[in-house]
Formats: sequence, structure tokens, C-alpha cells
Amino acid sequence: MKLTRRRFLQNAGITAAALATWKIPKGVLASPVPAATMASGLPGSLGAQEVTSVCEMCFWRCLLTGKIKNGRLVKLEGNPKSPANGTKLCARGNAGIKLLYDPDRLKYPMKRVGTRGEGKWQRITWDEALDTTAENLNRIKKEHGMESLALFYHGASAKFIEPFWHHIGNPNRTEPAFFQCRGSRDIGYLLTFGDSPGSPERMDMEKTRLMVFLGTHLGENIHVSHVMHYIEGLCNGAKLVVVDPRFSASAAKADKWLAIRPGTDTALLLAWINYIIQHGLYDKEFVAKYTTGFKKLKDSVKDCTLDWAAGLTDIPAGQIKETAELMGKLAPHVVIHCGRFVAWYGNDTQRSRALAILAAILGTYGVEGGMYLKSKPPRPKASLFQSDEEESDLEPISDKWPFPPPGTPSEGLIEATLTGKPYPIKSWVIWGTNTIQTIPASHRTIEALKKLDFVLAVDQIPNDQTLFADIILPQCTYLERYDTVYVWKDVKVPYLSVRQPMVKPLYESRDPYWITKQLAERLGYSDCFPYKDAKEYAEKKLESVDLSLEKLNKEGGVVTFQGRPYFTRENPPEFDTSDGKVQLYSEEMEDEDLDPIPRFEPTPAPPKGYVRLLSGRTPVHTFTRTRNNVWLNAEQSENDLWLNDKVAKKLGIKNGEEVCMENQRGVKTRPIKVKVTPGIRWDCVYIVHGYGQLSRHLTQAYHKGVSDGLTFAKNTLDPVTGANAMRVNFVRLIKDGKVLEMPELGPLPSGIPRFQM
Amino acid sequence: MTQYAMVIDLNRCVGCHACAIACKAEWGVPAEYHRSWLRRLGPAMTPDGMSYTYFPGLCNHCDDPVCVPVCEADPEEKVFTDPKTGKTMTMEVRATYKHPFTGAVLIDHDRCIGCEMCVDACPYGARYMDYTLDEPKADKCTFCMERVEHGEVPACVKTCLAGARIFGDLHDKKSEVYDLVHNKGAIRLTSSEVVIGPNVYYIGNPRDLHLLKETCTPHKMNAGRTSRRAMLAGLHRRGGNLLAGAGLFGAVAGLVDLTSSDSNSEDKSF
Ligand code: SF4
Ligand code: SF4
Ligand code: SF4
Repeated sequence: MKLTRRRFLQNAGITAAALATWKIPKGVLASPVPAATMASGLPGSLGAQEVTSVCEMCFWRCLLTGKIKNGRLVKLEGNPKSPANGTKLCARGNAGIKLLYDPDRLKYPMKRVGTRGEGKWQRITWDEALDTTAENLNRIKKEHGMESLALFYHGASAKFIEPFWHHIGNPNRTEPAFFQCRGSRDIGYLLTFGDSPGSPERMDMEKTRLMVFLGTHLGENIHVSHVMHYIEGLCNGAKLVVVDPRFSASAAKADKWLAIRPGTDTALLLAWINYIIQHGLYDKEFVAKYTTGFKKLKDSVKDCTLDWAAGLTDIPAGQIKETAELMGKLAPHVVIHCGRFVAWYGNDTQRSRALAILAAILGTYGVEGGMYLKSKPPRPKASLFQSDEEESDLEPISDKWPFPPPGTPSEGLIEATLTGKPYPIKSWVIWGTNTIQTIPASHRTIEALKKLDFVLAVDQIPNDQTLFADIILPQCTYLERYDTVYVWKDVKVPYLSVRQPMVKPLYESRDPYWITKQLAERLGYSDCFPYKDAKEYAEKKLESVDLSLEKLNKEGGVVTFQGRPYFTRENPPEFDTSDGKVQLYSEEMEDEDLDPIPRFEPTPAPPKGYVRLLSGRTPVHTFTRTRNNVWLNAEQSENDLWLNDKVAKKLGIKNGEEVCMENQRGVKTRPIKVKVTPGIRWDCVYIVHGYGQLSRHLTQAYHKGVSDGLTFAKNTLDPVTGANAMRVNFVRLIKDGKVLEMPELGPLPSGIPRFQM
Repeated sequence: MTQYAMVIDLNRCVGCHACAIACKAEWGVPAEYHRSWLRRLGPAMTPDGMSYTYFPGLCNHCDDPVCVPVCEADPEEKVFTDPKTGKTMTMEVRATYKHPFTGAVLIDHDRCIGCEMCVDACPYGARYMDYTLDEPKADKCTFCMERVEHGEVPACVKTCLAGARIFGDLHDKKSEVYDLVHNKGAIRLTSSEVVIGPNVYYIGNPRDLHLLKETCTPHKMNAGRTSRRAMLAGLHRRGGNLLAGAGLFGAVAGLVDLTSSDSNSEDKSF
């Protein structure tokens, strides 16, 4: 087939007359081919030099291959040798380059020259920055004691400062994103199975016959290997039940969507448990052999009938029954997913317990298609410290809660900063976490930041919290440094890899090991961090398991080990609980005057005229920290407000129109576009978390979209763990300056009180 | 002869946008443009139930690519090689053409004069003018032919964590794309007004396909020339003739830049 111009002309119905031609002299035009392509003989990323490493665009840490041409990182791909993600990366992983080459990056150490929050800085030298920091921390420590210093941290960049804080005997350290995400969940599972569900969560979705999601939003949460298993499972014919007030990306793939009334999840779980017990659908052998407290459980849930739950949850009794029967029928090859980003109503530990109990009585633990077991690969070791941990006779703030996850609940440290109780906190070291956006009730966080004697921020880009810092230290990105050796055990095939630099640190940025070591020395701990640099530390760790960087790189950047995902005769069940059994009834909780078996505790319903504000994830962003990435920003630069279509009709709001939200404290947001959809209940609205950043230095992200964190007025804490709740705030809408009362399209059951303004 | 094609499985796609970003990285596509894009659709009610799905879009490498004949660049003879057999063929083509051996619709950037006619003509909005360049050029997806020639799969396919993008030769009866198109009911986004043989197909459940078709099918063939564009193209042509010889080409590029304010190459809403 010869493709002539004439043929195209005929097809397109365009006359030849329209196509007069003209000639351009060759070589006049600038080549449009991107620089990356020009760099080598081969186009695109082909023919590039390759370095393997570990992604840090989120905490999942997929394995990478970086493609480098002429000293410039041109592309990131999944490491084909990875037993988890293979050649695949998510959008954020692919966009890592734009963090590295973000022109807004923190380039030099700086000191504050304006007021706190203003973001006026002046460039200083590393020596001045480190000396000033050390002087201040030493002074405050001398005046007010060690307990007056607090650390807020996140992620791999804090892998040195966090153990250092531990080492010097300071209990004031908090990882807000952990507390606000899965802290309570992990404790709920720990109290039940003696172990957390892991990260990656040990859910055998690829082999399962049924997945039950309550707190899982795969598709909005993207963690590559997890999503791969989820899709594999669905394509292998697994059924999917999704419980969510909103038609989430997962609900869209579900066989059953249970549009639950927000805050009533535990009622549904208890009704399922009761039905499964009453109808003998549970795994009798597993329950008899490996659990304690079954009788007490049975008794405790006996009144949690289908009708009782239907009234509370707004899910028809028939659907509750049908899904319970499906679980019974397909057990034990059922994944009761533990969820992620599940700090919701302040009763989250108990809800997680209920999920864990459901998973247990269905006999899914350690079974193919259920919850697989943690593996025991070798553990590389190399100590960062040459002396013992310092003893501290401080009563840690975390003692206020019976089962706090590691560290101190963020709220405890903020409270102490504001009130001086139980002891005054005078200085915050903020390492890679946006304290303003991450912790609910930002007005309190800001108040605390303004009150402090000294604030240090260590980060890669000028995020909101850096506006409040006295000294800012520029840290290099994960693509410019060695960090540590990573071992994955919560996977079926355990593996080991190491983060290594693809390019040299840009500007004056430095790696976290160097920064922490410098600070430690100036604080009088020169015996800490005995290695020359992070590379030597990684080498020492590898040496302890008979590996080296050279050997590892020869293997393609990853070494795998034998897994043991399921119970077998050689691998019998073991539970690290007080009596070695799965605790359906928790004596530990009883000892702390907590419900030993979860009970339904209602969370207050919206006050009249308000709806609940829910927030969640987008697949193109991680928490609050990727909004300034120019590629990711271009995919979704703003969030929109999901509003039920019937409610919208009553209020006269059309799709795409702009409204403002006003929370129960009367604080108004900037305008946000409305997405009118039948895919959300009438008693709530939804936005994606992490937008609406305050820092003007983030040229892509500044004031794009609306922040949920800043809209959350109220802090509710889980009494078990001290973790914050993210779904306990209410809003109404304002359109064209007029406050709109949110209509109620259904009755409120008598068991649920209203929130008192 | 080969016709490369892609089938996108919406049952698998999780809407992660990785395809869009991997493409940007591979080809240095400026942040504001897309060769490969993802639009989120819904949640909305369809006759088959509620749907919340995605439109992963890219150039369709159409059988009758209306973007090709509108090209204003001078035709030139070009030798095409069959990557499989090494056979060659000579054809007179303008700056954009349909490759006779692979079926890919491609652009010779060196020869593109930036007249923007092809961008206007594509009913799928698959082309954009790259105004980040000193001399703006048209650009779009190449089906990663440069990679395919080197034995690699397209960048978006390689990164797709859901395995939702299936790429192959539609003329090869043993290929997966052939099977999906001929036996598994893959559909394409065509309407009675737009029938130009797109080679990107979609499979999915009835509700998702319904929403996709409803919101993403083009219903208008662009004449390819709003009067303003035609005028500019005319100016461009004359200016080119006059000025290129005088070595003042930059002045013409300035004229072309005027179009950027009303260029809406990013708008994928049809
Ligand atoms: S899930 Fe995405 S961002 Fe997270 S580690 Fe993997 S590729 Fe990186
Ligand atoms: S999709 Fe548009 S640009 Fe691609 S071949 Fe078809 S008409 Fe041309
Ligand atoms: S990469 Fe695959 S799963 Fe992700 S949006 Fe693109 S087609 Fe869908």
C-alpha cells in the first residue's frame, strides 16, 4: 500500500489547493528533540548508564533503575530484578526526577530574617547553620533539660536522627504521618495476633477468592506491588466487597459496594462476626486450636444483629447477611484487608481489633489467599553508636496512653509546647515532615511553632513548616545519596537492596547521615556515627550478611531469600501474644480498663446543617509532600469537593461551580470546585488530602487546592494509642457569599448522638 | 505488513497516571503537555450501574490520519524501512506521515514548520504544539517506535503496574492485541462523524465502557482551520518564503507564537 498525499487528501476531503507549500532552508530550525535524547546516540532513555536504587517518593520503597546520560538523571524505571515491582513504578516514582531537579529546592543553609511564618530567609554557611543550631539546642537543654527538645520526623531521611534521639534518651519524638495513618491499626493487630499486619501489608490478594476492604482505597492509594497483587487477584476471579461512604476507586471495581454511614464501621464488623459465629461459618479448627476468648466473643456480640447493624450503618440487612455468607463460603481464602490511612474517628484501634478478629475467626491467618506470614531473612547489622543508650528518668508523655505506637503521639508534644505540661517543650527539630498539614487542628500547631524558643527544619523543598524555622538545612534527595540497607520481610519472597546515589548532591545540599553526624558532634556526641559516611555504613551492614556493594550491584541491586508465607507442619503457627494465642478477648486491654472485645461506640453525627468532611488520597501524590513536583502537579494540581448529586440539586450547586467550606469553628476555606456525583453519601463531602500549601516558595503548589488539614478544627484522640482522628470535623458550604444549610436526606438512628457545637 | 495497536484494559487500569509520567520522562515532554494522558471519569450513573473509570489516551495512529494531509511542510521523498524484514520503500511525505511498515503516525521534527494544522485537525486532541521551544513544533505519541525498534516495549506499557496496556501488531493473528480486538470485543472511540480508524482500543465492563464512550468519543471532525489559524498559516507561509531567505526566521516564529493564547492543545474534553 503506497501512502500518497493524494490518498490522504481524498480521505480528509481537503482540496489540494489548500496545500500550497513552502521551503525552509535545512538547519534553520532549532531541533525539537529533547536534551535527553540528544545526549547519546540512542533515543529516550535507551543506551543510558544504569544505577540501581530504592524509591522514596513514598514509603513503599520500590526498587529502581536510574538512567543517566551525560551526568544527568533522565529516567527512573522499576528494577527488572525486583521480585516486587519489576519494571513498574507509579506516577510518583516515575516523577522522582522532578524532585531532584525542582528549581524550588532548598539549596543552601538559611536563617530566618523575618517573623515566624513569613518565610524570609538569608543564606548562611553550613558551619554557621550547624553551630547556631547546636548553640541553641545546647542552651535550651541546659536551661530546661533534655525533655524541652522534641523531634518531629518522617521517612528515610530521619533514619539517623530518630535513633540518635533515642540514643540520647529523649522520648519526645513523633512521626505524625505514622500516627495519622496506621499507628492505631498496628496496635489493634498487635493486641490480637502479636504482630502488626506489616508494611507491605501481608494480604495475599493475588491468591485470594474474596477481598473485603474497609479502609482500603487501592487505586487512590498506589503502592506498586500491592496494587499488582490486587489486580492479579481480581483478574483471577476474586470477589471484592468494599465498605465506604464514597464510591472509591476500589468500590468501582467491587462486586458489592456497601455505602456505610460514616463512623459506624465497627457495628458492621460486629454484625458480621456475630452472623458468622451464629451460623457456624467460622473456622472451628483454627478457633479451637489457636485462639482464646471465643466464648466471650460470642457472648459479647450476640446482640449485634443484622437489623441492629442495618439501622446504624444504613446498609440493608440483606447486604450484610449476603456478604457475611460470602466470607463464610470462601474462607479461609479471604483477605480481610487491614486498611491504611485509617485514623478516622478516634476509635480506630478497636475497629482494627474487630477487623483482626474477623480475619482470625475465618481462619485466614497464615493461609494461602488470606494473610501470609512474615519472613525471616538475614538482618544486616552495624551499630551507629559506640556507647549504650543514655538512661532517662523522664516519664514520657506517651505514658498518658495505654498502648501508644513507638514514639510519642504528636498531640502530646503539641499540648506540652502550648501548656508547659507535663513539662515545657521549647524547641522542635522538624525533619522531613510538614507538621502544619499533617497534624489536624493546624491552628494549634502554628500557635505552638510561634511559641517555641528555637525551631530547626531539615528538608529538601521549602514546605510549609520551613516558614516557621529559625534555621533551615537543605537535605539532598533520595536520588543523591546512600542511606541504608533495606530488607523486606513482609513479602512472600524476602529481599534486600540498598539506596545509592544516581548523581552527586546538587547545590549545597547534604545527605542525612552527614547532617546528623555533624549535629551530634556539636551536641557533644562525637562517639556516635563512627563511619566516614553513609556509604561506609551501608558497606558495614552488607558485610554483616556476607555482601558488599560490589557484590550486590553484580546481582543487579537486589538479593532475594527464601520466604515462608504459609503455615505448614515445619512452619507451625506462632503468635507473639501473652499466651501464644490469638487474643479474641484481650486481657491486656482489660488490664487497662479498655474494652477487651470491641464494642460499637458511636462517633458524633454532624450537627444540623453540616456534613462530615472526609479526606483521602490521590494516586499522583504522597501525603503533602509531592505537590510541588511539576509533573505530578500537572496531573492533578488541585483537589475538588465531592458532593452528593441529590444534595447538590437541593442546594442549587452545579458540577464545576466553586464553593467555600466553613468548618464548625467558623473558619472558611478558599474556593474549591465541586464535583457533583452520585458516588458519595449525602451526609459527607470528600476532598483529597494534602493540597492548599501555605509556602509561597513552592511555586507549583502554593495555594493550589484546599487543605483538609487546615480545615480540621478539632482533634479527637484514640484513647488506646493517642493517635489523631481525621474524620471528626464538619463543614457547610458557602456559595456566592451565602451560607448554605446542608440538607438531611435520611433520619439519624437514635443510637448516634449529634456533635455539640 | 504491521499495524501497531494498543488495547487498554479498563478492568485492570487503576488510574495511577504512571503511563502519563513515564512517557514524559522518556521523551522529555514539557510539564504542561501530554503525549499520553489520563482523564478521570465519574463516579457517574450509567444504564449498567455506577462507574468511576479512566480515559488513558494517546495518539490512535489512525488508519486514515486526518492530521497527515493538512501538514503544510513541503513534501519530500523519504525512504522507509521495514524494521522486520529490512525491506525499503520510498514515499513522498510531508513533515508528518503514516509509516508504511509499522502503521505508526510520526512527525519529522526537523521538517515540522510549526503551522499547527495537524494539531487542529486531530479530532482526538492527541497532538500539541510545544511552545516551550524557540521554534514551536507539533508533537505527539510515537507508539515509542524508537524503543520498539530497539526491542523495547513502549515506556507507558513498561511501567503500567496493572498490566492494563497491551501493545502489539494488529495484523498478526497470533498477537494478544489481535485476539482482544477480534475475539474479546475491544472497542474504539468512534462516532458516525469521526471514522478514521483509530488503533487504540479499550476493553472493560459495560458500565465503564459506557461512561468512556459517552464522555470521550469525538463527535466533530475539525475542519482544521479556524479562520484565524488559516490566516496565520497563510502569513506564516508568505513570511517564511520572504523571511527565511533573508535569515530573519525568528520574526516569523514570533508571529506563530500569537496562536499560543488560543491554542488549547491540552484540552481533552471533546
Ligand atoms: S509506590 Fe510509587 S512512590 Fe511508592 S516507592 Fe513505589 S514507585 Fe515509589
Ligand atoms: S489520533 Fe489524531 S494525531 Fe493520532 S493519527 Fe489519529 S488523527 Fe492523527
Ligand atoms: S499506568 Fe496502567 S494502570 Fe496506571 S493509569 Fe496508565 S493504564 Fe492505567
